[in-house]
Amino acid sequence: MNSELQMMILQAQTRRHFLRSLGSGMGSLFLGTSVANYAAAASSKGEKSGLSFARDAATPLSQLPPQFPAKVRRVIFLHMAGAPSQLELYDYKPELKRLDGQDCPASFLAGKRFAFISGVPKLLGSQYPFKQAGQSGQWISDRLPHIAAHADEICFIKSMRTDQFNHAPAQLLVHTGNPRLGYPSFGSWVLYGLGTENQNLPGFIVLLSGGKSPDGGKQLWSSGFLPSVYQGVQCRPHGEPVLYLNNPAGVDRLLRRTMLDAIDDIDWQTYAEFGNPETVTRIAQYEMAFRMQMDATDAMNINKEPESVRTKYGCKPVGAEFANNCLVARRLAERGVRFIQLYHWGWDSHGAEAKEALNLGFNDRCREVDQPTGALLSDLRERGLLEDTLLVWGGEFGRTPMRENRNGQEMKYVGRDHNPGAFTIWLAGGGVKNGITYGQTDEMGYEIVKDPVDIRDLHATMLYMLGFDYRKLTYSFQGLEQKLTSVKPARVVGEILA
Amino acid sequence: MIACTTFLRRYRLALITFSPILLLLALIVFFPPNGKEGARWAHFIGRFHPLTVHFPIALILLVPVLEIAGRREPFSYLRLSSRFVLGLATLGAVFAAFLGWCLARSGSYSGEIVTQHMWGGATLAVTCWVCWVLRGRITGQHTEKLYAAALTVGVVVVSWTGYRGGQISQGEEHLTEYMPSLLRHAIGLSNEGPLLQAAAGSFYEVRVQPIFAERCVTCHGPKKQKSKLRLDSYGWLMRGGKHGAVIKPGNAQGSDLFRRITLSPDHDDFMPKEKRQPLPQDQLKVVELWIVAGASGTIPLDAIKDLPPGVSVAAAPVEVSFPEIDLAAVAKAREGIASEVAQLQVKFPSILNYESRGSGDLVLNASVLGIKFGDADVAAFASVAEHITVADLSRTSITDQAASAIARMKHLRVLRVSQTKITDATVKALSGLDQLESLNVYGTEVTAAALPLIQKLPRLKHFYPGHPGTGPGR
Repeated sequence: MNSELQMMILQAQTRRHFLRSLGSGMGSLFLGTSVANYAAAASSKGEKSGLSFARDAATPLSQLPPQFPAKVRRVIFLHMAGAPSQLELYDYKPELKRLDGQDCPASFLAGKRFAFISGVPKLLGSQYPFKQAGQSGQWISDRLPHIAAHADEICFIKSMRTDQFNHAPAQLLVHTGNPRLGYPSFGSWVLYGLGTENQNLPGFIVLLSGGKSPDGGKQLWSSGFLPSVYQGVQCRPHGEPVLYLNNPAGVDRLLRRTMLDAIDDIDWQTYAEFGNPETVTRIAQYEMAFRMQMDATDAMNINKEPESVRTKYGCKPVGAEFANNCLVARRLAERGVRFIQLYHWGWDSHGAEAKEALNLGFNDRCREVDQPTGALLSDLRERGLLEDTLLVWGGEFGRTPMRENRNGQEMKYVGRDHNPGAFTIWLAGGGVKNGITYGQTDEMGYEIVKDPVDIRDLHATMLYMLGFDYRKLTYSFQGLEQKLTSVKPARVVGEILA
Repeated sequence: MIACTTFLRRYRLALITFSPILLLLALIVFFPPNGKEGARWAHFIGRFHPLTVHFPIALILLVPVLEIAGRREPFSYLRLSSRFVLGLATLGAVFAAFLGWCLARSGSYSGEIVTQHMWGGATLAVTCWVCWVLRGRITGQHTEKLYAAALTVGVVVVSWTGYRGGQISQGEEHLTEYMPSLLRHAIGLSNEGPLLQAAAGSFYEVRVQPIFAERCVTCHGPKKQKSKLRLDSYGWLMRGGKHGAVIKPGNAQGSDLFRRITLSPDHDDFMPKEKRQPLPQDQLKVVELWIVAGASGTIPLDAIKDLPPGVSVAAAPVEVSFPEIDLAAVAKAREGIASEVAQLQVKFPSILNYESRGSGDLVLNASVLGIKFGDADVAAFASVAEHITVADLSRTSITDQAASAIARMKHLRVLRVSQTKITDATVKALSGLDQLESLNVYGTEVTAAALPLIQKLPRLKHFYPGHPGTGPGR
């Protein structure tokens, strides 16, 4: 424990502290003691308020109760990487359709920055018809019939906004609360706050589909400055979920155990000597991998599901398919995985080439996600899992009501540019109201006219459903009580809470 | 001819003094306020209207005081000054009316109230002049009576014009807005009171305002106010525009706003203008039902029935609160079970936990252990059974043997026994769980025969049947 404290002291020595102790006139000689007191004070503060996240070094993933009784025990986040067009999917704008092909008014362009639009673009109406769905009468595009069938279970937020208009920083903002590298992802914060339920599986699992990794890369599920034991584990679409998880030929489980015991002994010696928590992370990961040998391959194997279920999701026999991942997500949810993160790449509909054009490739993306998303919702509902699971569907920003005109020219395919000013995401499941819409954009779907929701507000709301005050789930790093929502004030969107 | 010259000579002064009034009348007849932006000088001098207008008001009201008090012997000298005061009042009234006309022409004002106020001011100027002329020619009882009548008219006109002016500057309800309810009742006003803002969570705010916000406020809002109409709040809406009120409570067809949005799109009066899409039927219905129900800013969301299946929008702002954890209370709630819980947490790592940091209730999630968790293990939790509020035993190897151990968890709110070997027998044993809100027997052999028992559970809200389709669902 003493060595760990030493490590904390070393880590906590920052310019901030240097300047502070300099300012106090006591000189940097006292830095060590003052920081030690600070660390001790911080942990005793946590205990006093009943909210310490301190754990035994050997079990960094042990469960802790949430701050308040939680509505939601796990999250399935379906991230549509590339930013799907809300104007083709959820944000119904008949007026924009009427003005289709007309010059964009100058007021839309003044003071705005675009990734590609230049000159005066044309307004572009929705490429697909909308229909009202369900008792709640929510308008949804005809591209998403399976999702539309669940309209009465969905809570749309049509007034999401971000301050990033390029994919990687915008995705980082959505997943880590910060557009720069080095911050813990949402799933990591959740693991840090609550621990993992199933000790034989990672508590935070990431599955990719769509042919490419999201632009933000592995940073999107990194643990940032939190101990790396809290990072997301990316699993492979078929075969071994994690490479070299299974024993090689000629090695049985007992031999593996003996080997691990020897490695653990050495690691614990190293830890006793240097006190680096990353050593403990390493030990925990070895142990986790050993336990995962039993359960992970089974959990990820969709062939254990009956044919009828696989057909319902639209699964393919092999491949990094969104449908397969959705079914895996349901299996993981059943097994107590806290945070299941799916990424489906390919929504960046600029119209520069056929596979990303709104009138071509976009259709394929819709087909790829619609049926599995609908099936996942039905399946979770039927099995009673939706009651305490939060499902999130959305991208990193929105798209413009103007047709993209790269270099001021009309392009061969139809596309839209990035619009950080307004986009739609939806939530379903435990903790949110069913069949409602929150927030509103103008007649063009360009700017928010009512109830804007910043990314940090969404994060604060999701943490609230998981049982946390976003201001209290903190970790001391670089002299600051770091939190997911950064230093700006956030707001829990109470209106959408069930 | 001679009579005419005599008349002219006799009334020369009167006629000369009437000419400014004639000029004023000509101005307001030929150049009425039209709501258009006027010249800058009109703006500038118009702004002095509220400043100067109180001068003639005070003087006109002073004259009856002088006249009545002057009837008493000790104050008889007061009557001598009344003609002079009337003269000043006439001068002031004409001047103030001229400034008022400038202000009205500056473009910021138009509408019924402004017109009435303007004519009130003009009438007042004429009345003052008449009084002034009469006061100088009192020859007998006949003219005295005429003078008294003219003075009374003056007092009435000044009060009425002043009230209209107050409505322009301080709002139509400026006198009744904060009137005590007894008084309101006495003069026959409803006590609900015309609110400037719609109540939070009211039907107007949740269903009606979003329609205007989406379709109308681009032209009738903070940035532009075509026809002086704003639709960005209840107060503005009910205030109306330059053609007066646009909403007649209770009468949708008689409300100008509703008439315009329901016209055929090629009609000149149709709204929204500029070839915009007409409002869809369901939005029209919402507006209509709201007007018919009294166009109130306070009636709650559920007061209006038979709504079309419109998009329901989240209601009024809801601020969540984060209660502090009371450590003493937590310690007390966990007092009797803390040591047992600690022991069980060692024996069954990571499946038993307190529901929250501030709670003594327990959550048991054995599903993560799968088939390694069986009937005997459920029984091991007997000592803390009554504190368990959520129990997830899904996918474990429990059977009906565990039923009695589960039944001992009397305060269960959520019970999941899906994908286990339990049958109707377990459901039978659960009849005492009167706190149960959610019961999940998905993928078990529980049959429809157990449904009557399940329906008797008093608090049950969610039920997930053994085979989808065999039960009431949630």
